[in-house]
Amino acid sequence: MNLLAQVDPKTFWNATNGSSELFIKLALALIFGIALATGLMFAPPQLRKWVVRVVTFVSGLFYVLFWLFPAPISRQPNDAPRGTVEALSFFISDSQSVVASLTNVIAGFLIGLGIYSLLRVHLGKIAKQQKDWFFSAVLVISMFLMIFFGYGDYIQRQDPKNFVLADMKNWGWINYGRDLLFDGLLQNMDAGMFSVVAFYIMSAAYRAFRARSIEATILLVTALVVMLSLMGVVELMWSGMIDKISPDNPIVQSFKLSAVSSWLRSNVQTPAIRGIDFGVGIGLMAMGLRLWLSLEKTGGDS
Amino acid sequence: MGQQYLDTGWFLMFLTLLMVGFILFNISRAHGGKDLYIRRISGLNAIDEAVGRATEMGRPVLMVPGLSDTTVNAKTMQAINIFGYVSRVAARFGNPILVCCYNASTFTVAQEIIRDVYQQEGLIDKYDVDSVRFISDRQFAFAAGVSGLILREKAAATFFMGEFYAESLILAETANSVGAIQVASSTELTQTPFFIAACDYVLIGDEFYAASAFLTRQPVLVGSLVGQDWCKLAIIGMIIAGTLTNTLQQRGEITQEHKEGKIVDLPKPRNVLAKDTIFSRLLKPDPEKDIKVAREHLPPDQVPSGGGSDK
Amino acid sequence: MALVEPNPNPSFLEKLQSIPKPVIYGILLVVSTIPLFFSVKLPNKPIDASIDFYAQTMKLPDGCKVILCSDWTNSTRGESKGEMEALLKLLMRKHIKFVLLSIGDTQAPQVAKDTIREVSASEVASGGTPYKEFEDYVNLGYYAAAEGTILAINNKVLSIAKGKKDFPEGAGPKDALLSPVFQGIKSVSDFNMFFLVTASGTNRTILERITKCPLMYMVSGVMVPENTSYYASGQLKGLCGGVKGVYDLETIMEAGINNPGPDLIESDKYKGESIPGWKGKTNKGKGTAYYLALHFTLALLILAVVIGNVGMFAAKRRAK
Repeated sequence: MNLLAQVDPKTFWNATNGSSELFIKLALALIFGIALATGLMFAPPQLRKWVVRVVTFVSGLFYVLFWLFPAPISRQPNDAPRGTVEALSFFISDSQSVVASLTNVIAGFLIGLGIYSLLRVHLGKIAKQQKDWFFSAVLVISMFLMIFFGYGDYIQRQDPKNFVLADMKNWGWINYGRDLLFDGLLQNMDAGMFSVVAFYIMSAAYRAFRARSIEATILLVTALVVMLSLMGVVELMWSGMIDKISPDNPIVQSFKLSAVSSWLRSNVQTPAIRGIDFGVGIGLMAMGLRLWLSLEKTGGDS
Repeated sequence: MGQQYLDTGWFLMFLTLLMVGFILFNISRAHGGKDLYIRRISGLNAIDEAVGRATEMGRPVLMVPGLSDTTVNAKTMQAINIFGYVSRVAARFGNPILVCCYNASTFTVAQEIIRDVYQQEGLIDKYDVDSVRFISDRQFAFAAGVSGLILREKAAATFFMGEFYAESLILAETANSVGAIQVASSTELTQTPFFIAACDYVLIGDEFYAASAFLTRQPVLVGSLVGQDWCKLAIIGMIIAGTLTNTLQQRGEITQEHKEGKIVDLPKPRNVLAKDTIFSRLLKPDPEKDIKVAREHLPPDQVPSGGGSDK
Repeated sequence: MALVEPNPNPSFLEKLQSIPKPVIYGILLVVSTIPLFFSVKLPNKPIDASIDFYAQTMKLPDGCKVILCSDWTNSTRGESKGEMEALLKLLMRKHIKFVLLSIGDTQAPQVAKDTIREVSASEVASGGTPYKEFEDYVNLGYYAAAEGTILAINNKVLSIAKGKKDFPEGAGPKDALLSPVFQGIKSVSDFNMFFLVTASGTNRTILERITKCPLMYMVSGVMVPENTSYYASGQLKGLCGGVKGVYDLETIMEAGINNPGPDLIESDKYKGESIPGWKGKTNKGKGTAYYLALHFTLALLILAVVIGNVGMFAAKRRAK
């Protein structure tokens, strides 16, 4: 029985797009979901813990099987599985794209949760006129403006007749509003905030790059070499100087900025990054394993 | 043999399962009461000092569990677990906290965990629901929001742990400008240098994952940490073995080579290349390219519309 | 943290270790802005990773199909837009069709579309043909579930385009799978290359999951060290990083590789081959525009570090 795969012929678990059968099934699923959530709220904590563990395990199990269970080799669309093992591998393979879509759906609902949190905090601040409530008002107004103009523009563009909106001459006030808020304000404020990083890099480097110890001095010198190698003019002058000293001696030639910087990258930086990557990767795997098997006690229990 | 094993070979799958085995074995060892040693991690020793300082100054402790995608992943969970410990210390000192979340799923998980911490400490009446808040899921809007919070609330201690990108330096420098003591860790190696330049204590690489074991000494976490160390030793062993076998093997000439799962004769002898060595073939086998499998066909009305994977 | 007691009457050299931040920011603002008004051709030696990027792109058959994953937004346009423009110029000149998608940011599809339009207009202005949406490239938009989407691309590439609509010029939305870009495509291995232009962590997501198609990345400068290890191991066929990477590409687009001439760019890896450039076309872009500013800002950074250390040593000597 194909529980997840969107297959033809139709099974109990799916229905044709836009049909009344689909909407009835969606409504029933919604009622069932609300009933389940309400039931869980009143369930004792021990039962809830087990429900969470089982759901976590089953959800993680799908991708563990996807990676580990032998995937079908050279499968054609109309192939039938040769036994139970291959039937399971066909099912997992068919379901993967549907599971990916499920994550998209959950992400959509989570945005609603985020909006709820924002509104609760900031509307509360405005109502009680707490410190800096003006900023909260700006946030709430900006949010509703963006929702209004952004969604309005999107709805208009979905109409097949409105392909003319690709030309600015055919824009209405909603389209101009979205353009002002998104391209004019949000995009440029994003770029402005990122530009601030340049100033912070300068002040952080000035404050932190001090030769206080041997290791710090080595770090400082290698950083200077790498920075100088990015400057084409300096690289040319340095190479000219090296060529004047000895154009044919390979040992002297290996002191060119590009050669030194390349050596530092290949033999110092890359192995160090690889080493840290190994550790981080193993740590991530261990963390994932503990979460999947619900071995972790959360909350920083001592 | 599955399709995924054709690329990676059996060895990498065996290695993965071996590492999983190391971790689970050491977890059971730790559960059995065995006392396992973890070295000091200076950034974590500073947590109590940082929270104490914040309490003396009467200013809040600010925590940011990183910028993950729409879902809560292992890195975010690890950060929230560490913040659970920090919140426990802050709750005992009666110090206000602020947890700034990048996405709504992190916000729900963080809220649950922090509330549980206050409940366990018997201080649920001191728990402020608005201390855990969702700021924005836009990277620089988030950075602007958190920077604004740091400046207005004048946080005395800041903890930045998890996935950070370009906004790391904005947050760290802003906290530095208000004189906050900072403990940071980024799982993105590109941002670690920025944290090192701007923060007081930095956890590098997998010190971040060791943090929860170090702080709580839970057997599961300590055992897992020791298991990770066994995995690293296995990899070091493989690197040494690989280097030695490659060095010894890459001498002389060969007259046959492995190609697409078969041994074929070479038209003329050639030098041994890296791809001919044992380790290279173990880690990157060269399988037969066009494997045909004869299967029966489904009747047309039973062919799944989304079925069939690409070759 | 200062290692010595603050001196009530610091000398000039000691004051150098504590220049106020507004002064540093003001100098940086001036030094980084003024060079933007000058267009100067600076000498440049492209690195191997950039040479590989150009060579592998030029070796793609004309008219083939590639995937272009664009995960950058206007916040990193200083680097990423230049990279995107350089890549699009190469793809358009070789009439390579591409599937455009994003997994990193909801803003990314729009900025990519705007850049494609600009580059297409500039190619038309220098005698090329315009690139039309739906005919020459298809825009699949943003996918929220990055890992699942990339897995689906590797496993069943057509499934990600199912139900997606794109907008041909002068017409309403059409099913993306009907686009000429998808004609003849059954698997991700039917695409000749997977390009990623990113400033976020989507590089790993793709590297871990795409196994049937060669990969090439264009990343921001700060991500170059991390991705160099993947390039060094051969998992990436080429790598272009930061403003320097963009300028490398623009330099190579002018001169080619191992092409005899005044601006000869030699490569031992492609010895015996001569890969042509695109002399006479508009090759200059953001790399050329920003490289001079990069020089000045790096020089200022080095100067600031040196001055800070001079001040520190002066204070230490005074304390002794």
